[in-house]
Amino acid sequence: MRKNLITVILVFVCSFSLIFVAGCAKKEVVKSEVELTQAQPSAEETAQQAQAKKEADLREQALKEQALKEKTLAEAAAFQDIHFSFDNYDLKPEARVLLGELADWLLEHGGFEVTIEGHCDSRGTAVYNLALGERRADVAKAYLVNLGVANTQITTISYGEELPADPRNCEEAWIKNRRDHFIVFPNKQ
Amino acid sequence: MRKITGFLIFLLVFWCSSTACGKVYIDINSPAFQKFPVAIPEFKNLGNAGDEDNLSEWFADQLSRFLKITGFFKIIDKGAFLENQDSSGITAGEIDFSNWSSIGSDFLVKGGFGYDGKNLAVEFRLFDAIDGKLIAGKKYWGKPEEKKAMVLKFADEILMALTGGAGVFDTKIAFVGKKDNSSEIYMINFDGSDPLKVTAFNSLTLLPHWSPDGSKISFTSYKDGNPDCYAISPASGTTRKISSFRGLNLPASWSSDGKKILLVLSKDGNENIYVKHLDSGNLQSLTNDRAIDVSPTWSPDGRKIAFVSNRSGSPQIFVMDSEGKTVRRLTFEGSYNSSPCWSPDGTRIAYEGSSNGGFQIFSIGENGDNIMQLTFEAGGGESPSWSPDGRYLAFSSKRAGRERICVINSNGLNLRVLPGIKGVESFKSPSWSRHLNLY
Repeated sequence: MRKNLITVILVFVCSFSLIFVAGCAKKEVVKSEVELTQAQPSAEETAQQAQAKKEADLREQALKEQALKEKTLAEAAAFQDIHFSFDNYDLKPEARVLLGELADWLLEHGGFEVTIEGHCDSRGTAVYNLALGERRADVAKAYLVNLGVANTQITTISYGEELPADPRNCEEAWIKNRRDHFIVFPNKQ
Repeated sequence: MRKITGFLIFLLVFWCSSTACGKVYIDINSPAFQKFPVAIPEFKNLGNAGDEDNLSEWFADQLSRFLKITGFFKIIDKGAFLENQDSSGITAGEIDFSNWSSIGSDFLVKGGFGYDGKNLAVEFRLFDAIDGKLIAGKKYWGKPEEKKAMVLKFADEILMALTGGAGVFDTKIAFVGKKDNSSEIYMINFDGSDPLKVTAFNSLTLLPHWSPDGSKISFTSYKDGNPDCYAISPASGTTRKISSFRGLNLPASWSSDGKKILLVLSKDGNENIYVKHLDSGNLQSLTNDRAIDVSPTWSPDGRKIAFVSNRSGSPQIFVMDSEGKTVRRLTFEGSYNSSPCWSPDGTRIAYEGSSNGGFQIFSIGENGDNIMQLTFEAGGGESPSWSPDGRYLAFSSKRAGRERICVINSNGLNLRVLPGIKGVESFKSPSWSRHLNLY
């Protein structure tokens, strides 16, 4: 309403000015009249455009965040198992490399936690393998803590020989099953 | 099987002391033991009624089956029988023993049955077929549905007379049954009958151990996320939490009075052995070592504990006193020895040891001497558990790629694979109950 009133007043003022200056600067006046008549919708448009841009930016930001989140989650899910020798829980050189990458990532992503699952192949005793699986999880945890990852970011659990990655009974399967598996997930806060 | 002792009345028909008393029993646990050859012809119908249920054959077949399961008997094939059943009877005077000794049957079981009102009356006689003498004889009365119990009771009489000890027909074996990523505790009778699911947590449930009175089974389950220790009463299904520290809570053997339980806990970082006093809840630490210490088993007198430790590099069996002191290493042969189980007479410890890339069942004298390898098959053996009379061992072994529960006599002979259970893929970690007075 108020905008309309201003428009009416402005048109009035402009019409009077036109009458006064008509003789000397006709072209300019016409030009300014055009400017005046165009200026009004332009302000509205600017506001709309700004709003749209803001929304687009937000959307883009959200998409970026979503993509980042997805990328982070994908990264979190991509940490590969580390493997061990039979009846052994020493970290192999390649396991140290993988744990180093995991430690760097966890240090960068303080909002994430990791559960380390220790597993064994099916040979040997179920009970002994539960202990062995725990040692395999513990040794990886100690390595991460040594690299500066917070104790509170890491939990461990042993599944012994109970959850094989490959249920077959052959050397190929046993190698896959003697492992630490990492579940990286955003913490609840 | 229902408990029927209250209904079943038995009468001693004859007890011939000349062969039973002062008898020097053959060592049935010796690897050189020769099975007792026994013939069990069809039972006689002594009554006036017909034999629509074919009990003549049923009694002979069931007794043959149970005696065969014990691993101590060679059942003579029916096709070799010479006797004309119609003209012979079931007492010594009515039997021509040369018909039996001549076909290599050192022993003969004769029986007869008839209805006494609603009850079934069954007579059993065990003869020495060489001397033609009665060794043991009993007559049982009971309801017709109690006939299996009558057969089992006389099978016990035969075992008692020839081996000096009754059978373990009234025992059950508990074990883990697994499918995909879920496992439950099951139990089955010694003869492979009546399989029963004990737990239903749809989780990983492991390591059953019978309490000495047979009323409870301890186990570990991940049902609440962490491997916690529980005890369940198979009769009522009531489950009680025993231990739920962070990390492993693994049950091991119970004390013979059932008041204490050995546990493996990793609450302080290393797997160590504890004893939990169930009444007070007190927890007593027995080992405190940086190595892995697991699988403790009490000697029958409760004075010693055998356990597994990798403190010398690889898993080996050690023995300590009940306070965790005076530790000595028991096994020195092989790079991996575990799962010790103390024999009921306290003289030997069964275990699994690595052999040719796999694992086999062994037993060793409690002083570390006289190692015996008991299994040799490609399927190997893991987690041995003694029967309460020490005559058998249950263990798990691979059959066609799947783990099954097997039973052998303590001399390594007479391997028997227990039947599978529908919907279960593999079986392991057997625990043998004490006598449960099932019949």
